[in-house]
Amino acid sequence: MTIYNIYIFDRMGTILYQTNWNRLKQSGMSSEEEAKLMYGMLFSIKSFVSKISPLDPKRGFLCYKTSKYALHYYESLTGVKFILNTDITIKNVRDLLHQLYKEIYVEYVVKNTECEMGQPIESELFKLKLDQFIKQHMKSLQ
Amino acid sequence: MSAEDVLFDMLHSEIVSYLVPKSSEDEDLSILEHLGYSCGWRLIERITKELPRYKEELEVLKFICTDFWSCVYKKQVDNLRTNHQGVYVLHDNEFRFFSKLSNGTQYLKSAPKYATFTCGLIRGALENFGISSIVTVEIIRMPSCKFHIQVLPSSS
Amino acid sequence: MSRQNTRLDVKKVNSELFTLTYGAIVSQLMKDYENVEDVNKQLDRMGYNIGVRMVEDFLARTNAGRCYDLRETADKIQYAFKMYLGITPALTNWSAAGDEFSLTFDTNPLTEFVELPDNYQNLKYSNILCGALRGSCEMVQMDVSCWFVQDQLKGDLATELRIKFNKRLEDAIPAGED
Repeated sequence: MTIYNIYIFDRMGTILYQTNWNRLKQSGMSSEEEAKLMYGMLFSIKSFVSKISPLDPKRGFLCYKTSKYALHYYESLTGVKFILNTDITIKNVRDLLHQLYKEIYVEYVVKNTECEMGQPIESELFKLKLDQFIKQHMKSLQ
Repeated sequence: MSAEDVLFDMLHSEIVSYLVPKSSEDEDLSILEHLGYSCGWRLIERITKELPRYKEELEVLKFICTDFWSCVYKKQVDNLRTNHQGVYVLHDNEFRFFSKLSNGTQYLKSAPKYATFTCGLIRGALENFGISSIVTVEIIRMPSCKFHIQVLPSSS
Repeated sequence: MSRQNTRLDVKKVNSELFTLTYGAIVSQLMKDYENVEDVNKQLDRMGYNIGVRMVEDFLARTNAGRCYDLRETADKIQYAFKMYLGITPALTNWSAAGDEFSLTFDTNPLTEFVELPDNYQNLKYSNILCGALRGSCEMVQMDVSCWFVQDQLKGDLATELRIKFNKRLEDAIPAGED
């Protein structure tokens, strides 16, 4: 399985971090523009999904899939949003994202006072741990 | 790490940010050191009733590196060196307050403020055992940290 | 270096260190500010900063789900006090509308060795707790107010912290949309 890229937004819609692993095609816009577009899409799709739902939507928007890739969405109760683009074979990405929130974001962003909340993440230690986490899961989920 | 330890980490960080604001031009770490000192002194005052009395300076230093350190910093000091003339170097390879900060030299400039409370804590603890000292910190690559203790000749 | 574990009572030493450290920062603030009201505000602000981070640790640790009413939130707050401070405050004095309640403490680890001098009767010694609750709740989209109504440090029988739910907070709307 393949993980292409990740976006992390805070609850105010600020892009905290984005990075690529095996992304073959770029969007052709600046990363700021791309992040803005992504947040806008998520905002709309979330509100659409819960409005149109014929049942109580409980968890709301989780993922969408095309013939080529899947976009997975996980939001912590504090409104931190994790978006992971993967190939379409991969399962249980929600659990993976929850684990990423717990073990990487909370440990290396929240507990690092030098990382100001709501500001783009600069910590090299965070970047390293995230990279290790994703690569390890790409291997184990194969 | 237990929930109580997380709470202490967060209180410590918040105290550091209050006493040493990011914007400050020349950092004054003395208040932070003094705060650690008073905590170290009082803590020893409260916990040594159950302990044997140490006669030798080296015994006290060993107590700090083993019992005290594993209590507060969740592991023992990795290495204790001395020149047998009142200079001791405590080396912690994975210092508690650096473990989430960096595994290298990023944030190296801000690193000393996260070790200053501990410098004071050591100095205060030693003082309560009757050992006056100066404690400084040396940081080259996080999360590793070295505390240099210079014991001062007793005035009495 | 010997591999023996500590001969100290780890829990006790750490809780005493926590209490002493908190006491030390309160005394420092009293030196830094002339006005006690400013000390109270600063304690609240420090609590807020801790709360906004602490809540993430709490959620990560407990895998807690979303609360659907204030009673559920109250239970979680009670549980958080147990986890982080080792005390279980009672949930009391619910308002008829269910939008206000109190946390009542028999013991308060922050004030264990503390006696307030007479000239500090206006000091809200544990005000950091109010800030921490406000900060944590705000992160889970709840705007709340918190304040002490009774304090054992001031001779009251119990320590009572009041929490009032004000409103829900919404996600930020992306720029250019409404």
